[in-house]
Amino acid sequence: MTISKGRIIPLIAICVLLIGSFSSIYVFAVNTDYTTNQDVIINDEEFSLEYLFSNTPQRTFDSMNVSGVALDAIINSININCPSCHSYKIIGKDGYSQTVTWENMQNGLLTYEKKVVFSDLPKAFNVKDLVEIEVF
Amino acid sequence: MNKMKLIAGIIVFGSIWGFAECVVGPKLSDVGLPSGALMTGIFAIGLMATSRMFYKQRGMQLGMGLVAGTLRLFNPFGGCVVCSGIAIAAEGLLFELIWYKMSLDLRDVQSNTMKVSMGIISSYICYVGGYITTQILTPLVSTSGFYLENLIGFIPQILSRGLLAGIIGALTVPSVLLLKNINLNTVKDKLYYPTVAAVSLFCWIFVVANWLILI
Repeated sequence: MTISKGRIIPLIAICVLLIGSFSSIYVFAVNTDYTTNQDVIINDEEFSLEYLFSNTPQRTFDSMNVSGVALDAIINSININCPSCHSYKIIGKDGYSQTVTWENMQNGLLTYEKKVVFSDLPKAFNVKDLVEIEVF
Repeated sequence: MNKMKLIAGIIVFGSIWGFAECVVGPKLSDVGLPSGALMTGIFAIGLMATSRMFYKQRGMQLGMGLVAGTLRLFNPFGGCVVCSGIAIAAEGLLFELIWYKMSLDLRDVQSNTMKVSMGIISSYICYVGGYITTQILTPLVSTSGFYLENLIGFIPQILSRGLLAGIIGALTVPSVLLLKNINLNTVKDKLYYPTVAAVSLFCWIFVVANWLILI
């Protein structure tokens, strides 16, 4: 028995819409878990934004017209041994994550809008609404 | 179909697509609109479906993707331009694969159900495929390296964002197929080639000049 294109293609389209819809429901459910939390988790410890902004030096990328707190200074301020020996996974509220090196962290900053920006990496490495920095 | 006419068609449609990606896409992004879904759903799918209808040739949309991706390399904004260029070419390849088994005279997509379905499938898969391609290639060509777990963790978001592209595609393909089917073999060469050359040149000069002015 052969299934005609006229039947199979609408079925595939319905499956595609269902995948998109269920993914949207899942994403919405996961995101609402984070919405009330304004803190940032760094190496399993919670830090308030106020603490991070008041205890670490600022950095500005003139070419990108953006400024914020230096990412390497944040890591140094929480006393991680041998920062250059680790990798850093930057995780956003929407689940977007990028793993970077210490060298990249030295060229990165956290803006006041909780966006992580790197001057030495493509824009795809920018992470909005930072929720966690995993150190491993 | 005359090969020269086809090549000229690939260049002009690819150039318009690349122009849209370089000029219209960033503007949409600046005003906070979902530029990726809009660019794929309207421009990429619209132009590829139009060229499929007019030229009735397999392989043309892949060629268009390569031309558009190359033009994208001249746009200095939007992060990793190499990756964006490759992602656009990937969209062309995916469109080719999706439409490969469809008849070239589009007899298979006569009914509205088929038009809408092909629009959803093409737009969704091109968007999701292009997005995943970028997420793999960008870290690979940068200093940080590619981590599969980062991509896997973001797959639900990519699948979710593709929904808008799919819905837009459901409107774009039926709209394109409403256009009067022009038989390009009846268009005179002295009208066809100068028009195609002028449009292509405009797209390239505008994007390259924009790049030269801004760097």
